[in-house]
Amino acid sequence: MKTRSLALALALAFAAVVAGPSVSAVRAADDTIVFGAAVSLTGSLAKEGHLTQEGYDFWKDWINAHGGMKVAGKTYKVDIKYYDDESSPQTAARLVEKLIDQDHVGFILGPYGSGTTFSAAAVAERKKVPMVEGNGAAERIFNQGYRYTFGILSPARRYLEGIVDMGKAQTPKPKTLAISASNDLFSVEVQQGVVDYAKAHGIDVVYTAKYPENSTDVSAVISAIKAAHPDIILNAGHTNDALLVHKGLKEQNVQAMIYGYSVGPDTPDFRNALGRDANYVFGSAQWSDAVKYKGEKGFIPSAPQYAAEFQKKFGHKPDYHNAESTAACLAFQYAMQRGGSLDTEKVRDALAKLDVTTFFGILKFDSRGLNVFKPMVVNQIQNGELVTVWPAGLAQAKVAWPTPVWAKR
Amino acid sequence: MQLFFQDLVNGILTGGILALVALGFSLVWGIMNIINLAHGTFIMLGAYVTYQLFVSFHLDPFLCIPIAFVVLFALGYVTQLSIINYVVRAPVLTTFLLTFGLSLLLENVILLIWTGDTRSVTTGYSGAHLDVGGITIPLVKLLTLVIALAIGGLTQLWLARTKLGRAIRATSMDVGAAQLTGVRVAHVYAIVFALSAGLAGAAGSLISVSYAFSPSSATPFLIKGFIVCVLGGLGSVQGALVGGLVYGIVETFASQYIGAGYADAVALAVLLVILVFRPTGIMGRATA
Repeated sequence: MKTRSLALALALAFAAVVAGPSVSAVRAADDTIVFGAAVSLTGSLAKEGHLTQEGYDFWKDWINAHGGMKVAGKTYKVDIKYYDDESSPQTAARLVEKLIDQDHVGFILGPYGSGTTFSAAAVAERKKVPMVEGNGAAERIFNQGYRYTFGILSPARRYLEGIVDMGKAQTPKPKTLAISASNDLFSVEVQQGVVDYAKAHGIDVVYTAKYPENSTDVSAVISAIKAAHPDIILNAGHTNDALLVHKGLKEQNVQAMIYGYSVGPDTPDFRNALGRDANYVFGSAQWSDAVKYKGEKGFIPSAPQYAAEFQKKFGHKPDYHNAESTAACLAFQYAMQRGGSLDTEKVRDALAKLDVTTFFGILKFDSRGLNVFKPMVVNQIQNGELVTVWPAGLAQAKVAWPTPVWAKR
Repeated sequence: MQLFFQDLVNGILTGGILALVALGFSLVWGIMNIINLAHGTFIMLGAYVTYQLFVSFHLDPFLCIPIAFVVLFALGYVTQLSIINYVVRAPVLTTFLLTFGLSLLLENVILLIWTGDTRSVTTGYSGAHLDVGGITIPLVKLLTLVIALAIGGLTQLWLARTKLGRAIRATSMDVGAAQLTGVRVAHVYAIVFALSAGLAGAAGSLISVSYAFSPSSATPFLIKGFIVCVLGGLGSVQGALVGGLVYGIVETFASQYIGAGYADAVALAVLLVILVFRPTGIMGRATA
């Protein structure tokens, strides 16, 4: 991304004219609670940024359609003011500052991505405005001693643990693991987490590598993985990395028991782009529409119901990016209702004390503001469909095992 | 040893695509002295055209290469005559701003049409490979290399043998003298720019099969194209081919034996060393 910063600086001048931040009017009226969010509508995170915005909008429209939100006996409408952070952390920070200083927004919903969230969190802290984020899983965001940032996600370190657990429950048992990672904030933590976890659980880590972010070719990494003969092949990265690695593995005919990706298999892109080759692939997810949590009163209680209503509104099934964004709004909602106040300090305190189960899972924060209480789920692509296979208690279907050779998938 | 040869093969195959990525960029830079920052976006357009033809009409991506070439050729021709021509003699910063603005505009148009989803073209024969003494050679990438070399060769022949090709080379050597002998410079420039865009389109077709892409993938390819150009020498087909292959091989070996994270750093260090000894690039002429 560093190579882009000069380009992005130049782009700022253009952006005002060409792209232009989307501006929705802020209703200053007392009966509307206005949230602010800088999300990536253009740039490398545009895809996930749009999913984030859909998740936020779904909550906003649901609340308003159901008579608004009741806080301390008074009913409020809700609204969200958006800006486009162009997938740039610097821009995200500037826009969050603008939301707070110029638009007088009292509550911030996070951007998409660990990099942008990291810089937005610093601004929220300085301005003492609570921010709930559902799209930045890097633990580094929460190791700064911040008091105003709350993350509803399971942290990055835990992303691929479920795939290791799932593998250990199969026969024959996988014994060795290789993991490559894109050299970005989130992926490096995912990699470190699963390496530690695998070692602690008796799996031999035979290969690790970090390749530059936005790499266009990883064939050297693939041939090194092949030479190491691992049973489990994992990648920590984003959808682009997952596609690049998986295509490369097939090209060089690399066989393994498990192919797992931190991000990718959950998105339809992955299945559309790979077709049959996507079968048997494992992906970890913050959420799937098959999980069996029972949410408390105040919002759609179950995951399947959420999925159905979401599909009706947006014409596609929600993936976990949508759900986690909606869940970030829910943290605010329950904190405001339980704290009985819209004062920013009181909302912050209520968030710190929050303990609520939603369609997304449990929302509860440790002293750093991190939701370490919710497990990840493992999905597998079976016959072109994404099904939840782990943990056993939340699973939809059995693990398809073992993974056959490439030609038979 | 097997790993060594596997990496050599991987490096050469990667280099083939990089050569084609750099070729069009190099022609415009060398002949018109314009560093076209929209080149990466042209490549992405080629990839999306291929993707769309594959999805809508199940057209084989390799058959899409001529279509992507023609579409981008036309776009390049119009762009040159209507926009770029006004800044051909302008200072480098002006052309930077204009082509960068153009790339932003096109990237956002791509985003509007195809959204930010990550795409890739996967055919029935994707992942097919040859096994030669334990070394795996992916067929698609091999075919890609062959096509990249063929396109490079054709471009070279055209520049060397045809009247228009000679006019282009004359213009590249001395604009004034070329004009005096009756070369229509504006037309020559439009053809060069169109050819460059067309080559970008062809590169995009090939990238869509071997890699994954999204609207923002333009930048990494632009940067690689830039490096390959400087490495190989500007404005010549041989320069782009040699530069691409050298870069692909160096990057692959650096990634394997020094560390995947250092691939870019080592490749750039090699670039520096080569520029110290050959300031005009490996194949560059002192007069270029």
